[in-house]
Amino acid sequence: MAQVAVRMDESELIRAAQRGDQRAFEQLVRLYDQNVLRLAMNLLRSPEDANDIYQEAFLRVYKNLHSFRFDCSFHTWLYRIVTNLCLDALRKRRVRREEDTVVETSEGFLDRMDTVEESRAHGDPQRQLLSRQLRGRIREVLDGLTPRERAVFEMRHYQGLRLRAIGDMLGTSEEAAKNCLFRATQKMRAALGDFV
Amino acid sequence: MKCEDSRTLFPLFLYGELSFEEEERLEVHIDECDACRAALAREKALFKSIDAAGILPSAELLADCRAELHERLAHVQPERAGWWEKVREGFTIHFHFAPGLMQVGGALAMLLVGFFTARVAPNSFPGAFGKAGLVDPATSRVRYVEPVGAGRVQIVVDETTQRTLSGTLDDQSIQRLLLTAAKDPSDAGLRVESVNLLKNQPQSAEVRSALLYAVQHDPNAGVRLKALDGLKDFAADPETRKSLTQVLLKDDCPGVRKEVIDMLIQHHTDSMVGVLQEVMGKEQNGYIRMRCQRALRDMNASAETY
Repeated sequence: MAQVAVRMDESELIRAAQRGDQRAFEQLVRLYDQNVLRLAMNLLRSPEDANDIYQEAFLRVYKNLHSFRFDCSFHTWLYRIVTNLCLDALRKRRVRREEDTVVETSEGFLDRMDTVEESRAHGDPQRQLLSRQLRGRIREVLDGLTPRERAVFEMRHYQGLRLRAIGDMLGTSEEAAKNCLFRATQKMRAALGDFV
Repeated sequence: MKCEDSRTLFPLFLYGELSFEEEERLEVHIDECDACRAALAREKALFKSIDAAGILPSAELLADCRAELHERLAHVQPERAGWWEKVREGFTIHFHFAPGLMQVGGALAMLLVGFFTARVAPNSFPGAFGKAGLVDPATSRVRYVEPVGAGRVQIVVDETTQRTLSGTLDDQSIQRLLLTAAKDPSDAGLRVESVNLLKNQPQSAEVRSALLYAVQHDPNAGVRLKALDGLKDFAADPETRKSLTQVLLKDDCPGVRKEVIDMLIQHHTDSMVGVLQEVMGKEQNGYIRMRCQRALRDMNASAETY
């Protein structure tokens, strides 16, 4: 079936979805799901876990949409659910052994993150090597952040959200989000200073 | 401001999260201090490196997530607010200060007023949009208004309505829409789904050219992989091989390069030797290097250029 997507106003989509219109809900999902998946992927570093968060978050939203009263933006409400799920997953993961992104395949060892996206320093093997090392180091530092620091850093640095909005989403103050971001950037600077 | 204080503010400065006064004080200091200016430049370089380490989920993963969610939604019943809850919550806003019983009273009173007003008042509202020619204001946008005399107004309205079309992939109108959707820059998921459908029709010249375009130009690796899948039967076609060669030499994603090398080495041609040697000179991926090496050996060619 080919569908010509016509963007409806977000609040119209929410109201239609609240009336049980599944198609409207899926249109609503598409307004945000790329960023939701990106957030989950960057925080959990696993396509399978990111998919789990995606499913769980949107199913929760779907089931509870009747209770959404437009008191805050839908974006904030959705991200509150997504970040809570991600933080829970990160905390659980800290308890058990950290998952490794490197897997063994019939063709040798492969970093699963390399198959996701590679920003390659075109044509120059030396630069490619350096950028790969730097990327690996950045991932190590991110892994060393606390779940909250990591969530705040991801939302501010990669998703471009304002600290006030991040505070709302994490159920904390703008000041607390600012402190988290500050600690995260201090750690990044301390660990990566030699590379730049 | 001391240098140490200034440097602790750099991250928040680069994120645009400082207050006006803090930003002003920092800028004044940076203007006067060479060392802090250099430190800020280093901080910017660090930010740029961190930018490059971000992960973008593939369009394929996004499409899989959407498909799974679609399936699961069909089996989930959203919880509905009961009629009592609706009435109560509806009036919570207006009668927030009143005790529960007064809210019910207020609700009933308003219902009665509404009912009798509707019976008595002239029927002036229904059809107002109909008379103006608007079917649904939610999907319409007023583009232009102009008084036309005698108290009348002319309004130009852009209307968008959603339609569902269905048909087979042979249907020209369906194919045209899919070709358009395959290039929609705003939605990688839509592109991957469209290319996934189009790849079943590679015998159409228009579709094949869209697949070649996607392989070479789509920013998303998932879309490129789907398009490659559709081109597999044309691995011997000279035009396809030319495009694939370009992809092999330039594509950022090792997964895409891996698929391309597998397609190209199915057919040995003289021009392949130079291409494979060039790949050997700069490829980092072990699997691709191994495939190149094997293909060059099969063609009795050296893995290096002299």
